[in-house]
Amino acid sequence: MRKADIFVAALLFVIGVIVLVDSIRLGFRWGVSGPEAGFFPFSLSVGILICTAIIGIKAIKKHGKEGPGERLIPEGGLKPILWVLLPSIGMVILTEFIGIHLAALVFLAFYMRAVGKIGWGKVVLVSILVPMALYVVFDKLFLIPLPQGIWGGKLIPF
Amino acid sequence: MENVHNLLMGLGVALQPHNFLVAMIGLVLGVIVGVLPGLGGANGVAILIPLTVTMAPIPGIILLSSIYWGALYGGSITSILFNIPGEPWSVATTFDGYPMAKKGQAGKALVLSFLSHGAGAILGVVMLSFFAPIIAEFALKFGPAEIFSVMLLTFSAFVGLGGKSALKTLASIFLGFSLAAVGMDIVTGQLRMTYGSVDLMGGFNFIVAVIGLFGLGEIFLTVEEGLKMEGIKARVRIRDITEGFKELGRFYKTLIFGALIGCWMGLKPGGATPASFMAYGFAKQAAANKEEFGHGASAGIIAPEAAAHGAGTSATLPMITLGIPGSPTMAVIMGGLMIFGLTPGPMLFVEHPDFVWGLIGSCWVGNIIGLIIVLAFTPVFVAVLKVRFSILMPAIVYICAIGAYAVNNRMIDLYYMVGFGVVGYLFKKLDYPIAPMVLALVLGDMAESAMRQALIIGQGSPLVFFRPPIALPIMIAAIVIFFWPTITSLRKKYAARTTIGPG
Repeated sequence: MRKADIFVAALLFVIGVIVLVDSIRLGFRWGVSGPEAGFFPFSLSVGILICTAIIGIKAIKKHGKEGPGERLIPEGGLKPILWVLLPSIGMVILTEFIGIHLAALVFLAFYMRAVGKIGWGKVVLVSILVPMALYVVFDKLFLIPLPQGIWGGKLIPF
Repeated sequence: MENVHNLLMGLGVALQPHNFLVAMIGLVLGVIVGVLPGLGGANGVAILIPLTVTMAPIPGIILLSSIYWGALYGGSITSILFNIPGEPWSVATTFDGYPMAKKGQAGKALVLSFLSHGAGAILGVVMLSFFAPIIAEFALKFGPAEIFSVMLLTFSAFVGLGGKSALKTLASIFLGFSLAAVGMDIVTGQLRMTYGSVDLMGGFNFIVAVIGLFGLGEIFLTVEEGLKMEGIKARVRIRDITEGFKELGRFYKTLIFGALIGCWMGLKPGGATPASFMAYGFAKQAAANKEEFGHGASAGIIAPEAAAHGAGTSATLPMITLGIPGSPTMAVIMGGLMIFGLTPGPMLFVEHPDFVWGLIGSCWVGNIIGLIIVLAFTPVFVAVLKVRFSILMPAIVYICAIGAYAVNNRMIDLYYMVGFGVVGYLFKKLDYPIAPMVLALVLGDMAESAMRQALIIGQGSPLVFFRPPIALPIMIAAIVIFFWPTITSLRKKYAARTTIGPG
């Protein structure tokens, strides 16, 4: 966990630098009629840099003294997490192409089959019914435009 | 008293058939959301905000807040029956609720939990009804410096009293404010931190962040332990209810104390989660039968539950009077208010009294009816969890995605959602508090504009924030609270030294 601590602190430090650079560009002094646009972000970025630097240094010191500490992810935990994370990203990417409801259909079917090992009958039933129900509720009833994707509009005629 | 008259008017609004129906739907959805992992109170409300855009403000806010009340009740169901907290504020309930259920007294545990929730809710709503107008009156005198100082007080409370590493809390807060600043600056029209990216011009929306942080993040946390939803069967019988009342009578001190802690924690932002832990800790320390805690002690259920619900309801108070949400879920609800074009704060009482009192009225109605609903229909809600997790999980992610997209109709928000999910998971594991980051994201623009206006008024001098009579004591309180851990540890050292002294 210490390594993750150092890593995250470093990442946040980088974010702090990103904010700092832009706030310098915007100007962080007193402008014509008040603080310039970069004033607030400048102080924020300084804050982030100081805090994350101290967090990182503390973590490095602790790591040196006590070693890596507990595991970040418990035994056997990484696989289920990746099984959620990667297909979710896949679903989002797929949404760009075929729209969210069809992507969800694929996502549901994939997860149910690959992880849940559920029988084909149930898989087909659920992965068609649920997106259909949500499509009716959100797109038709509440009239919220949800992503159709590049080809999705043609795949669903209604 | 004018306030009683207002309250009755509010109750009248809340009990109008349309609003009442909306509250019922919200409550049921809320309990379901509370029961499911990954769809939490903050998250569930966030997803439904785009839906409420089609509704008028009053029923819209009633829906959103009813979901919160329902989720407060619902989180306990899985804690007691499955040893899996359905909500972050139900974690403390697992300590004694589940053991009690294992001993065969699941019905009793559920009843104690729900009744304690109800008690906390009543105290919270009573406080809300009576103090809201007073504080709103007071807050009308607030200028930008005062507004900013109250926000500083809020965040200082997180740092000084949050119980987590001050550095990490600060980092979380700064990060939240930075995220809020990305995009176009309202005052100067300049683009900040966008580095030429069109996507970043729109900035980060707090709804998307909440759905990612609390939704996906929660799912990652649930999955990493490979949870199985094996639950204890339970029905709530009439006998359980009468026994529950009797037990509550025995432990009335714990109940009142828990509810008070809850209301206090709801006022200064922190919310239901820290309130529940604090109450549990206090109850255990004060108890005569400490060893029973962790094995099914009644007080171990009563205290955190009363606190959690008290905090949840009283979180409404600073939100509507000062525009400072008392809990992450309340922050989301406040965001919903702003989307309706209503700015929470003292002006709301002046300009839209029917709205404010209608909301307060529905707090009464919602929490009391919610109690009845969970007492009567627990097995129904439990049945929701019988659905196989491998069906539930992708469905939850799917619903989250819909919610995230519906905010601004941007695909990039879906990617942000996943990103925030990872952040939420990492932050939870590494003990970075998420609530202050969410609050900073919601309040970011308001805080910055208040600061800028104040500085302009003060001609660039930061002393403007310390001007009496209002800003000065608030700033002093903020500084004291900020350094509270240092103060307490210095006091301990001093005490130790004097006792070790000669003699």
